[in-house]
Amino acid sequence: MSTPILSAHSLVKHFNAGGFGAARKVVRAVDDVSFELAPGETLGVVGESGCGKSTTARLLVQLLTPDSGSVRYEGKMVGPELPLKSFRSKVQMVFQDSFASLNPRMTMIDAVAFGPMVHGVSRAEAMRKAQDLLDRVGLDPTRFGGRYAHELSGGQRQRVNIARALAFDPRVIVLDEAVSALDKSVEAQVLNLLMDLRRERGLTYVFISHDLNVVRHISDRVMVMYLGEVAEIGPAESLYSAPRHPYTEALLAAMPSLDPDRRTMEAPLAGDPPNPIDPPPGCRFHTRCAHAFGPCSAQVPVSHRVGTGHVAACHLNAKTEEVA
Amino acid sequence: MTQETVHAVTPLVRVQDLSVRFAGTPPVHAVNNVSFDLAPGEVLGILGESGSGKSVTLKTLLRLLPERKTKITGRVEVDGNDVLSLQGRALADHRGGVASMIFQDPALALDPVYTVGQQIAETVMRHEAISKSDAMTRALEMLELVRIPSAKRRLENYPHEMSGGMRQRAMIALALACRPKLLLADEPTTALDATVQIQILLLLRELQQEMGMGVIFVTHDIGVAVEVSDRLAVMYAGSFVETGSVRDVIRDARHPYSKGLLAANLVGAVPGTRLDAVPGAPPPLNALPEGCSFAPRCAHAEAACHASPLPVWTGADGRWARCVQASRTETLAKAEGQR
Repeated sequence: MSTPILSAHSLVKHFNAGGFGAARKVVRAVDDVSFELAPGETLGVVGESGCGKSTTARLLVQLLTPDSGSVRYEGKMVGPELPLKSFRSKVQMVFQDSFASLNPRMTMIDAVAFGPMVHGVSRAEAMRKAQDLLDRVGLDPTRFGGRYAHELSGGQRQRVNIARALAFDPRVIVLDEAVSALDKSVEAQVLNLLMDLRRERGLTYVFISHDLNVVRHISDRVMVMYLGEVAEIGPAESLYSAPRHPYTEALLAAMPSLDPDRRTMEAPLAGDPPNPIDPPPGCRFHTRCAHAFGPCSAQVPVSHRVGTGHVAACHLNAKTEEVA
Repeated sequence: MTQETVHAVTPLVRVQDLSVRFAGTPPVHAVNNVSFDLAPGEVLGILGESGSGKSVTLKTLLRLLPERKTKITGRVEVDGNDVLSLQGRALADHRGGVASMIFQDPALALDPVYTVGQQIAETVMRHEAISKSDAMTRALEMLELVRIPSAKRRLENYPHEMSGGMRQRAMIALALACRPKLLLADEPTTALDATVQIQILLLLRELQQEMGMGVIFVTHDIGVAVEVSDRLAVMYAGSFVETGSVRDVIRDARHPYSKGLLAANLVGAVPGTRLDAVPGAPPPLNALPEGCSFAPRCAHAEAACHASPLPVWTGADGRWARCVQASRTETLAKAEGQR
């Protein structure tokens, strides 16, 4: 991989969940997460609720400050080496809730133009650009520019949010469940838009979703998270066809088959994901894992390289390597 | 009713020409001329996007819609009862006794101030003349039936003490406590994580076969519908646009909207390629277009699509699609069906 455009280095974020002193509880939302993004690639992030995918996204765009670890943009550490303001113009985010992420008192054209104006672009210039962007995302600026958020449908609002993210000409966009709240037929339109924009502008995406089908469709590489840790990361093709972490395997097996003759006959996992307040020791997945053996409950698995750019944190891979 | 000698199985549910209007200016046409039958022990999946009328159709079967603001026309029969004319005790017996419902969000559907055991026991006591301790025993049996671990302890739990998947199991236990003949499921797995969703789907499938009940399963997720349904109905803007066996609808959708939905679910899509997306958005339900409601978004729309009534294409096994274009392929389809 060439110089990564964006990289996360051992990000840790714990949240206070009440209690004092010894009884203090901590949600270990993100624990030692590292990854790199090559320019122009799309990294899909999947996992169940509470696995830390949204916290990772917020750490990545510096909406949250990590407890430890750092984010680097083109090798420069954000904060000490790269001021936040110029970082933000390069890395933008689109959220799941299209309504909550728009100011209800702002017209759509103002919403798109607002960011650049804050960054010193003249009003006329920002407005002109906002018009172009609304047009580009499929909303006629003369019809929709003067409307407020409540006057748009969910799909239209998400288009505005995408236009707003594009207003800085960013290189990276972090999409946190950006299409999850949309109806399927509208979701397909927005996915098409995202893929077109990626090609036109050479954008790099971090695409967070719980929908494995969509992630596979749009991503070059996929990262699987479980209880705040990276379970597996690798090229979409090989991760989907030959997963090397039992959790990835279970997630894939839990996908409805879409084939009435090959319905799922057995649930790959029992029970719900454990509480991230008190994650199991050793491998956090061992309580639900069918393959768990000796070291799983005691030792935290290290990441093993299992293929080209394909890494999985599972003791099973250590075993095979040792045998081989 | 004079139907002593019926050659086919008497349907458990018979819905004829059901329309639901909500008061407003102009009124909202939430459900438009929907007709379908459900055989005992059959699972019908109703597939549609938000606002397509799938939940409203389901709620009509339990008469859960606000009476004063809703105008329901047509006929709804469940287990021989005319549901739309039920009143008072008869309606209360119908709800929970004959037909029962599970909802998307068990945290909202369950009562937060009673334990799960109390809620199940209360339902059983309302429908059957049994003592409180017997009802509690039944509640325990039900929790075991839905495979809640350490069921005895969980009986004493309040809903907030359970995880999402466990709560959904508890709601299923509650719904099935009186052995209803019909289970109505309104997106029961949508709020759940993928690995939990499949557990609940498998549980529902298993219980349905064990208890032999009819199920109407409403969802927006094709994958989920395929996992549980025998038959599928695709709903758009308050109307059924296509029905048939799951296999037929998935493999050979005839209505352009069903095709669009399949494409949007990435059925057979090559990763990274543009999707065959349906443009636009569904029409507002208080201003439905004349003729086919899907015509404004349809790539194959023609003049005939904007006139009522629309022609219906029919195939084997009760398959049909309400579409001008599909209706032209009738002869071809019949020839194929005979092969």
